Amino acid sequence: MTDPQVALMMLGLFIVFVFLGFPIAFTLMAMGIGFGYFAYFDSSRMWRAFDRLDETASTWDSWSTWIEGFLNNRIFDLFVNQTFTVMSNEVLTAVPLFLFMGYIVERSNIVDRLFTTLNIASKNLPGSMGVAALITCALFATATGIVGAVVTLMGLLALPAMLKARYEPSFAAGIICAGGTLGILIPPSIMLIVYAAATNVSIVRLYAAALLPGLTLVGLYLIYIVGRSILQPSSAPRPTKDEVPDMPMLKLLWLIVTSFVPLAFLIFAVLGSILFGLATPTEAASIGALGGILLAFLYRAMTWQRLRESVYLTIRTTAMVCWLFVGSYTFSAVFSYLGGEQVIGDFVAGLDLTPIQFLIIAQLIIFLLGWPLEWSEIIIIFVPIFLPLLDVFGIDPLFFGILVALNLQTSFLTPPMAMSAYYLKGIAPPELRLTQIFKGVMPFLLCVIISMVLMYAFPQIVFTLPDMFYGR
Amino acid sequence: QAPLVVKMQTSWNDANIWQEFARDYATRVEEMSGGRMKIDVLPAGAVVGAFQVLDAVNDGLIDAAHSVPVYWYGKNKAASLFGTGPVFGGSATTMLSWFYAGGGQELYDELTQEIMGLDVVGRLGFPMFAQPFGWFKGEVNTVADLQGLKYRTVGLAADLMSKMGMSVAQLPGGEIVPAMERGVIDAFEFNNPSSDKDFGAQDVAKNYYLSSYHQASESFEFLFSRTFLEDLDPDFQAILKYGVEAASTANTAKAMDRYSADLQWLQNDAGVTIHRTSKEILDAELKAWDELIPELETDPFMKKTLDSQRAWVERVSYYELMNSPDYGLAYDHYFPGKVKL
Amino acid sequence: MEIYGDIMISFIRFADGLSAWFGKAFAWLIIVMAVGTGYEVFVRYVLNSPTAWALDVSFIMYGALFMMGGAYTLSRGGHVRGDFLYRLLQPRTQAKIDFVLYLIFFFPGVTALIFAGWKYAARSWRYGEVSAASPAGVPIYQFKAVIVAAGLLLFVQGIAQLMRCIIAMRTNEWIEASEDVFETEDLLMREANKAEKDHLS
Ligand code: NA
Ligand code: NA
Repeated sequence: MTDPQVALMMLGLFIVFVFLGFPIAFTLMAMGIGFGYFAYFDSSRMWRAFDRLDETASTWDSWSTWIEGFLNNRIFDLFVNQTFTVMSNEVLTAVPLFLFMGYIVERSNIVDRLFTTLNIASKNLPGSMGVAALITCALFATATGIVGAVVTLMGLLALPAMLKARYEPSFAAGIICAGGTLGILIPPSIMLIVYAAATNVSIVRLYAAALLPGLTLVGLYLIYIVGRSILQPSSAPRPTKDEVPDMPMLKLLWLIVTSFVPLAFLIFAVLGSILFGLATPTEAASIGALGGILLAFLYRAMTWQRLRESVYLTIRTTAMVCWLFVGSYTFSAVFSYLGGEQVIGDFVAGLDLTPIQFLIIAQLIIFLLGWPLEWSEIIIIFVPIFLPLLDVFGIDPLFFGILVALNLQTSFLTPPMAMSAYYLKGIAPPELRLTQIFKGVMPFLLCVIISMVLMYAFPQIVFTLPDMFYGR
Repeated sequence: QAPLVVKMQTSWNDANIWQEFARDYATRVEEMSGGRMKIDVLPAGAVVGAFQVLDAVNDGLIDAAHSVPVYWYGKNKAASLFGTGPVFGGSATTMLSWFYAGGGQELYDELTQEIMGLDVVGRLGFPMFAQPFGWFKGEVNTVADLQGLKYRTVGLAADLMSKMGMSVAQLPGGEIVPAMERGVIDAFEFNNPSSDKDFGAQDVAKNYYLSSYHQASESFEFLFSRTFLEDLDPDFQAILKYGVEAASTANTAKAMDRYSADLQWLQNDAGVTIHRTSKEILDAELKAWDELIPELETDPFMKKTLDSQRAWVERVSYYELMNSPDYGLAYDHYFPGKVKL
Repeated sequence: MEIYGDIMISFIRFADGLSAWFGKAFAWLIIVMAVGTGYEVFVRYVLNSPTAWALDVSFIMYGALFMMGGAYTLSRGGHVRGDFLYRLLQPRTQAKIDFVLYLIFFFPGVTALIFAGWKYAARSWRYGEVSAASPAGVPIYQFKAVIVAAGLLLFVQGIAQLMRCIIAMRTNEWIEASEDVFETEDLLMREANKAEKDHLS
């Protein structure tokens, strides 16, 4: 077996082992070390001390020296070295800070305020509650980088309200699931930081690039919500005065000012300073975290308990993401040492695909991977394998990253690992069945696909902002 | 018989012209060995990061590395003296000659093998041209213009620039442009017109300042795992060592050709303004070195090394400078008005 | 036989407690990191005199935080799994798979972190290595020692995980770590489930 063949076997076995359900960080670590042991196997070097023992050496000495030789493989040093590389990765330093900001803002009652306000403000629109719910989700997405909390918070808040207003249950569920997933696409997305760290694409360019596609997707969602509410009014009846009270203009304005302006200011401070190159993402994230704490204080939502929760959750989620990197850095160093990248590249180059064919196949693979796997695994492990191929087909990794981010929206919405749907099911009234949720999600999946086609047809949507802010 | 494969990782990206320089070495080694030895040249990050090649060679993760000593000055500051130390008046050629004929190699071996206890053998090659003061978004004419800038450089130059009022970050070449875009740094230097162009310096800054004392002499460091090297047959050992000297000439010729052509391209096609660094800033650099040298000399090994360098430069550069005709005069005679120094 | 079960449970509680103690202690670095970086923002953009050390400090805080949180996360089942088949299995079967994989996947790597990490950190310690990211001379040899510490914590937690597997093989039930914080979604889902149960009973 040649080295590149061994590398392919390594990749194949890894995919099989993933299905055993063991924590993936450690599966990667094991595969890297196991195959690395083979890659770096060099008997003369490893057992040099044993070979140089003279005849007078005792049995014990020769045995222990032999065993030392067995452990004297360089893969262990490579593993430690790669671990340190992850520990000193400057791009990833923004991860814990943005997570912390998200956890704080989640606990600051901001979602309730936003939804209540928007609900009143939009009540004359068709599908007003759905619109309010979606916009709340989108705004919240600019303050958090992960998914989960938004779906459950909105599930507790907006879902009962919509059901009470006799919204079609699957429609209401679809809005919340799709809206709640926006947080990983719209900056400050943790997923984009991870993509940047995994591919060396500039994170600020990615953030700038994700903004318009994020808004496009929100726009498509809104078109669908409003359109359906017009065409099929029974699925989204107008709320009664009971459900959404009238409010004098001044009072409404005041509500908007108190619920919307502080958050908008925080978002602007964070994203604005990144986009205008005023501060590094890590610096902006620290401002976001400190600003989030201040906001929570202003809303009288900051308690010792909530701060502690945010702190502890931050370390756990950071550890989850970064230990994946520890595993994958070693895995991919060994993979490339064995020549695996080369052989995949040669294979794909030999297929004679056009760039568009390649792009569709790659996105299809990522879409399928999104069924059993989560975004973190896909980005950290599989995207680097596609990366060298992008060069072959002349595809900008920045563009590819945005397509992947859009694509992975679906991984939260499609079974069997539809986390958004499960979160919602977990807190929804028992009458709401999982099949109803999936049914409601389908049209939003279609929106995601349309948005990907739009990106491909009009790449300016991706490139305009990064080119404007950073030139080239 | 399959050739012996030497895994050599560099500290450069594939796009950097220096990757080509490393391959020039590989070609020479392969031809001199009649194809019995082959060097697999890997870019930064293939096995370990750009700044981690010393650890990696020491541990045998790679057999050899192509880098510069300043990249590991965090482990021992004296490393910089073999890369870009104080400028006493000698050029890179003067200092590379110190390494081979003035006692530099012995001091280098003492530092790496005895003081630091590393399992490496190092050789220097390719006397680099003095490194530009670098890339700035706006013009910098005075020391006051530099205050508060976040500037990328490496090694002792980092200490030097801190003394001049800048705040310094040290990053590998491949991370400079992303760091400019992220706002981690406001200005930077890397090395030469070609490498700078290769990573896209002209996209993030338009003012390029040539001439500086911060890194006026430097050479590549060829690192070999000592265990690996000493296990080889004597002819292979000799080819790997003397290959460095061969590559040195090849690199110099290529650098003259490409660096100068790329400087023209930057000026004519990329809209970059080429400046000479002002006398005020150059003076400030020498004064900053004056402050820095006594601090370095509190370390006995650094004192010994600096004494050796000073003695070498005092004698050798006296000869070089006294002997050298005014090339500028001749240039101006044939190409009048082109350069204003 | 029972006595071994009790000993194992005590050890599991001990390991969970140890991992949580270190994890939570290092978790507070996030505040140091936010405030430290916030300070840098102030002096850099308002006073135009950036610190030399902000970059070093931020990656040291981040690196120590996630490394030392590894065992805590493991004890709370927080490391992501490709579990869409796995979670359909009986706990007993899950435990058998996990038991084998902890032995052949988990321990070799974690042991390497300890021993090879020791070699790596000791060398750095010997020459008093400072960060090469800035000329501020911020020491990083102690930071490299975090690799060893994180390895040790994971090793202890790994033994506890093996014991969890043994118990689950016998009882067909996983022993969960005592928990004090939840993701918002988990917390809300638990509350919803509890309310439902209360409602039914
Ligand atoms: Na977001
Ligand atoms: Na330089």
